[in-house]
Parts: sequence; structure tokens; C-alpha cells
Amino acid sequence: MKKLIHVIVLSCKKATFLIEKRIYSRLSLIEKIQLRLHMSLCDACVKYKKQSWLLHKMLKHFDHDHQAGNMPSESSVEELKKKISNKLDEM
Amino acid sequence: MKRFGENIEEAHVVIKEWVGLFTQNLYVWAHYKVSDKAMAEDLVQETFLAAYQSFGSFRSESGPKTWLFSILNHKIADHLRKKIKEPFIGEGKAGLETYFNGTEEWNADASPREWGVEEQELLDNTDFRITMQQCMERLPDKWGAAIQLKYLEEKDGQAICQDLEITPSNFWQILHRAKLQLRKCLEIHWFKN
Repeated sequence: MKKLIHVIVLSCKKATFLIEKRIYSRLSLIEKIQLRLHMSLCDACVKYKKQSWLLHKMLKHFDHDHQAGNMPSESSVEELKKKISNKLDEM
Repeated sequence: MKRFGENIEEAHVVIKEWVGLFTQNLYVWAHYKVSDKAMAEDLVQETFLAAYQSFGSFRSESGPKTWLFSILNHKIADHLRKKIKEPFIGEGKAGLETYFNGTEEWNADASPREWGVEEQELLDNTDFRITMQQCMERLPDKWGAAIQLKYLEEKDGQAICQDLEITPSNFWQILHRAKLQLRKCLEIHWFKN
């Protein structure tokens, strides 16, 4: 019976898939309607959607001028510079 | 317009100066994108060698940093595409049954809860960013690479899939699993404390 209902209002698995798809691409009209219907009935997926878009914003925000953490030690950077310089000398 | 690359001597001197100036920036970025120190070092080295070889095509108005980053990003994208195409090697239970039960509804312990923080607060929080990076690193390679590629290239999903030679629905599926796991990792390591 549940499987039958899911054809119309989607399962949470399918709904979260569409939430992700929507972030990166377009949904078809049917997918939009199904997702909207599911969201009107499922509180957990509403939360998932909100959180998923937040993660999307975070990930978009990570560009090479906004790096935090994972800083290499000064000595390892110096070593890498030296290694690359030597390679250039060999060319 | 100044044209570089008239002689090899000049290229050599200039690139070496750039190695001094930009290695750290390039490395930090590459490390974040590929989650692998040795690979990040190789990519940065390859970037400078490629820059040296194609020095003639450098135009001074774009700025060396921008130019070097565009070379590096191409190399990162190539690397990520290879990773995404590799067969999946997951650790333990990484399947959807972690999140959804037999009728495809949320398992009680996996069901999303309210995070209870303002969005902007998280976006500005350095510790949260670091936790997020750590969670990214914990993702299986293939999934992490899919997310990193999606956020590296300005291209839309369809174009990325064409380059990858996989179907869009396959790519969305990888991203779906990756995001579920990333979310779970954050919930464990950030929101439960």
C-alpha cells in the first residue's frame, strides 16, 4: 500500500534525490508537483531541504581566496618551492 | 600590451619568482580540492611546469595568480574526473539503507532534526568550515570528487556529465549519496556537541 502511495507523493528517498537534483539541475513538471506534494506532508524532508541548501551555499563559498584550516607548515611549503625550482632548472 | 615569452631566460626567471609567491596559495587550494597531500604537491608542480612551457600564451593583464589558478583548476578537474570514474570503494555501510527503511522513509535515527542555528552564523563560522572540510575529506574518494568537481567548474550539470561520460541521473545519484553522508557527518561532529 505504501509503495502505491509513493508513486503519487514519493518516498523520502526519492524526494531527497529530487531535492539534490533541483540544486544542480532542473526538475520536470511532474517531478516538481510530486516534490511539492511530498514536502507538504513530510516534515523531515522539509528540514533536509533547508539543510541541503545551506551546505550548497557553504560549498559554493569555498573558493581559493577563502581557505581556512589545513594550512601547510612553512617548512613543507619551502620544501615544495625548492622541489619545483629544481625541476624548472632541469628543463 | 606586453607580450611575454620572447625568450626562455625571461620565462625561467619569472616563473621562479611566481613559485616563490604563489606556491602556498595553489597548494592549499589543491589540497582542499583533492584531499591528498602528495597529489596536491604534484598538481602544483605540474601547474608551474605547464606555465613555463606555455609562457608565451600568458597575457600580463589577466594577472599571474588568475592564470596559474586556471591551469591548476584544469589539472584538478582532470584528476577528479578520473576519481569519479573509478569503481566505488566504500567503507562498510555507505548504502542508502543507513538513511531509509524498507519503504524508503527516513530511519528514526537518520531523520533530519532542526539544526537550530541561523544560516548566516554558520556561513561565517570558521570552525564550522573546518569541520565541513574534515567531513568532505572523510567521504569516499569517488563521492568527494563528485562534489568537488561540481563546485570547481562553472559548467552546469549536463556539461559536467558529458565530460565524465556518465548519465546525469548517475551523477545526481552520486551527489545524492555524498550529500546524505556529508550531512550526517556534520550532524555527528558539529550539531550534536
